Amino acid sequence: MSLLEVSGLKKVYTTRFGGSSVEALRNVNFSVEQGEYVAIMGESGSGKTTLLNLLAALDRPTAGQVLLNGRDLSQIKDSELALFRRENLGFVFQEFNLLDNFSLEDNIYLPLVLSGESYTEMHSRLQPIARQLGLTELLKKYPYELSGGQKQRAAVARAMITDPRLILADEPTGALDSRATDELLRLFGEVNRQGQTVLMVTHSVRAASTAGRVLFIKDGEVFHQLYRGDSTDEQLYQKISHTLTLLATGGDRA
Amino acid sequence: MKIGFYPRLALDGIRKNRRMYIPYLLTCAGMVMMEYIILFLSCSGTVKHLSGGRTIAAMMELGGWVIALFACLFLFYTNSFLIRRRKKEFGLYNILGMGKRHIGLILLWETLLVAAVSLLTGLACGIAVSKLAELGLVNLMRGGVDYAVSVSWRSIGVTAALFGVIFVLLFLNALRQLRFSSAIALLRSENTGEKPPRANWVAGGLGLLILAAAYVIAVSVQDPLAALLLFFVAVLMVIVGTYLLMIAGSVTLCRLLQHSRRYYYRPNHFVSVSSMAYRMKRNGAGLASICILATMVLVTLSSTASLFFGAEDSLHSRYPRQLNAATGLHSLDDLADGPMQTLRAAWTEQLDEAGVTPTAVDDYRCATAAGQLFGSQMKLIGQDGMYSNMDSNYYSVYFVPLSDYNASMGTHETLQPGEALIYLSRGSYNEPQISFGPDCVFSVAGKLDRFIGNGDIAMNVIPSMVVVVPDLMAAIQPLRSLKDDSGETLLEAMWYLGLDTDLTPEEQSELGMELGNLAANYKWCMYKWCMISSREDNRADFYGTYGGLFYLGILLSVVFLFAAVLMIYYKQLSEGYEDQARFEIMQKVGMTKKEIRRSINSQLLTVFYLPLIGAGLHLSFAFPMIHKLLLLFNLNNVRLFAATTAISFAVFALFYALVYRITSNAYYHIVSGARAEA
Repeated sequence: MSLLEVSGLKKVYTTRFGGSSVEALRNVNFSVEQGEYVAIMGESGSGKTTLLNLLAALDRPTAGQVLLNGRDLSQIKDSELALFRRENLGFVFQEFNLLDNFSLEDNIYLPLVLSGESYTEMHSRLQPIARQLGLTELLKKYPYELSGGQKQRAAVARAMITDPRLILADEPTGALDSRATDELLRLFGEVNRQGQTVLMVTHSVRAASTAGRVLFIKDGEVFHQLYRGDSTDEQLYQKISHTLTLLATGGDRA
Repeated sequence: MKIGFYPRLALDGIRKNRRMYIPYLLTCAGMVMMEYIILFLSCSGTVKHLSGGRTIAAMMELGGWVIALFACLFLFYTNSFLIRRRKKEFGLYNILGMGKRHIGLILLWETLLVAAVSLLTGLACGIAVSKLAELGLVNLMRGGVDYAVSVSWRSIGVTAALFGVIFVLLFLNALRQLRFSSAIALLRSENTGEKPPRANWVAGGLGLLILAAAYVIAVSVQDPLAALLLFFVAVLMVIVGTYLLMIAGSVTLCRLLQHSRRYYYRPNHFVSVSSMAYRMKRNGAGLASICILATMVLVTLSSTASLFFGAEDSLHSRYPRQLNAATGLHSLDDLADGPMQTLRAAWTEQLDEAGVTPTAVDDYRCATAAGQLFGSQMKLIGQDGMYSNMDSNYYSVYFVPLSDYNASMGTHETLQPGEALIYLSRGSYNEPQISFGPDCVFSVAGKLDRFIGNGDIAMNVIPSMVVVVPDLMAAIQPLRSLKDDSGETLLEAMWYLGLDTDLTPEEQSELGMELGNLAANYKWCMYKWCMISSREDNRADFYGTYGGLFYLGILLSVVFLFAAVLMIYYKQLSEGYEDQARFEIMQKVGMTKKEIRRSINSQLLTVFYLPLIGAGLHLSFAFPMIHKLLLLFNLNNVRLFAATTAISFAVFALFYALVYRITSNAYYHIVSGARAEA
């Protein structure tokens, strides 16, 4: 059984007074296996963010279902959703979304504190993650003192500390310079090789080329997918570029 | 086309930020209204014709200045808040190619619009309400009612001029802020990542120390005159202490809590403690201001209300009888016999002729001097020395014969030679004996709780000691030779006569005049000076002063309340905008809506009740001090003052809670608006 199964997903946005409606997702089907590193690509407005919001249970689909570890997200009660997210999902956002009133350490602890973990437990969980992400020296600092790359690594740590089944990353490199981007992508790769499942939404070819599989979304549907196979990052980069060109020029399905 | 451009931009800016601007406009208009009303009252003919009206008019004029000054400070505060919010918009204009001169023009138009709207509505409301205010005042003063509505052009002119100056200053201040910032800075100004505050032990500790010192002063001061001097010192200390404590102290406290891992890392403490620490730095000043404003309202209201409601008490203690005659005699020998009898006989005859039978009479002689008390030693000194060197062990000393005391009080005390009864107007005397010199020592046979009504004792800022002796002439014999620097005898001989009658107020004052005229005929050969005061003659002045103070207190409280309400509102708004983003993040990370709402709610409540609790604390510590101050106004009714204080606080707390309910809706509106967009 796949870790994540998405079938027949559809999302229609209606304006408040029911005037016009926009179909953000038409019919999305795909699955993610345990330990995979998947990138979802698409242009602005292709429905990437909508898809991610549905996967994160931040929004409910109009039709279709999302199964995480065999559990249908739409069957989870509202009151349990936050808990479910906290226990099963880790998030990394483009804008980091660190709370500026917390030190890095406290930002990372936030989901665990909400679950009522003891400080010693949290502390011992944090140590290996902080070492891996190069945050050990920075834990007492506040977000305003840090660079974008450092903030994003802290956000990754926050996503990882609950030991989630799936890490959802929304344009994680969008606000980073190229050096920080490389560093972050290297970390994603490393975390993935340790067995962490990662699903990343991006429109950066550079970011997508580090993934094991790339899904392309166009007009609310999965249009195409690429497997890394034996390709190096550079070769995958070429393939992605090629696919994107096809997408843009309106070529048929490859 | 070009003519309408800047006004339109300005109008647009105001309309788009109406959540900010409407309260601001309302406050401006409210301040204008209050200023007009108070100036109107200061020159209203109806008020001038009230008994004591001139006092009131003068007071209102003073109040007008207080409000103008306060309005200036407060509008600056709120205006800076608005400017900060709008900097982004101006930055955008700047980037789009609008010079600072043009932005200045927009600001000018904006100021003009705000000024026009607030002056027009303020004055209109002021004119509408001024009659009501006048009626209220007249009613309070029990004066004649007159329903003609009038408009004071002079007040309109003065109000418009005052606020015109304030708006010009506000405009210049906005320009100044605009000048010193670049386009990028303007664009970013709202979300510059502010560093979380560090615990500031020095400032927090200092605040606590200053506040504690002010409290100690307030509680420990005994002497009303010292209280008057120290009151302003204490007020300043409380203001400084409150600011330091709310800004630095609260942050320090939160930091302290954060150090306790066991406490801090709990779901319900984690978010609230850290965001409180973060929030306090910026909002601490606002909270402290609200707290101080609240305290001002409460102190003003409770003290002026108790003065007003205690006016009758004060009047009676200042003028114990309907007619009070105090006569200074030429020599101590006159106490035994002589001129005094002649005068008394003349007065009695006059009363008989007028067919007036006194219903109550106080009639007593005394020898009086100032003295300094050391343990059980009272050292008599000249009156001059006393006032130049104020200290808490100074007393006015009165020697009174037992026979006069018994006659006036209707008591039957007895004393052996060498014994005395002691009465202190304030404090208590606990020594077994009292000595006025080596050969003038009395053993204290008893302490009196009450003494014959005496206006001089009542209005004296220095406490009085009355020594009731069996034989006055014998008692003061050893003290007669004491002289002051100018060679006068220290002891002065006085005779007090107080009368109650069943005459009407008008007849009472007429009788007072007649007795005074009669006394004047006997002057020089009989006495040094004689003062006859009628209670009814002074009643109007008393009510004029106290009623005017009370009314002014109410008006000022309304102004302070305006300010406090607006501050609370802006605080809620700014917190709403801050929390909007935080709310979203926390939800994405896995906090349930319920958890967020609960944590924000508890924070809001804590932050909200802090100023109220602070004000309550300030008020309760100020209580003894203000009570001492009220003694200077002849008000010695602790229960009345306690009651007005408690009622003021209760009303204020109720009002505060109401404001909170209304403003917190604005807060939730912003936060939940964010949810809908997410």
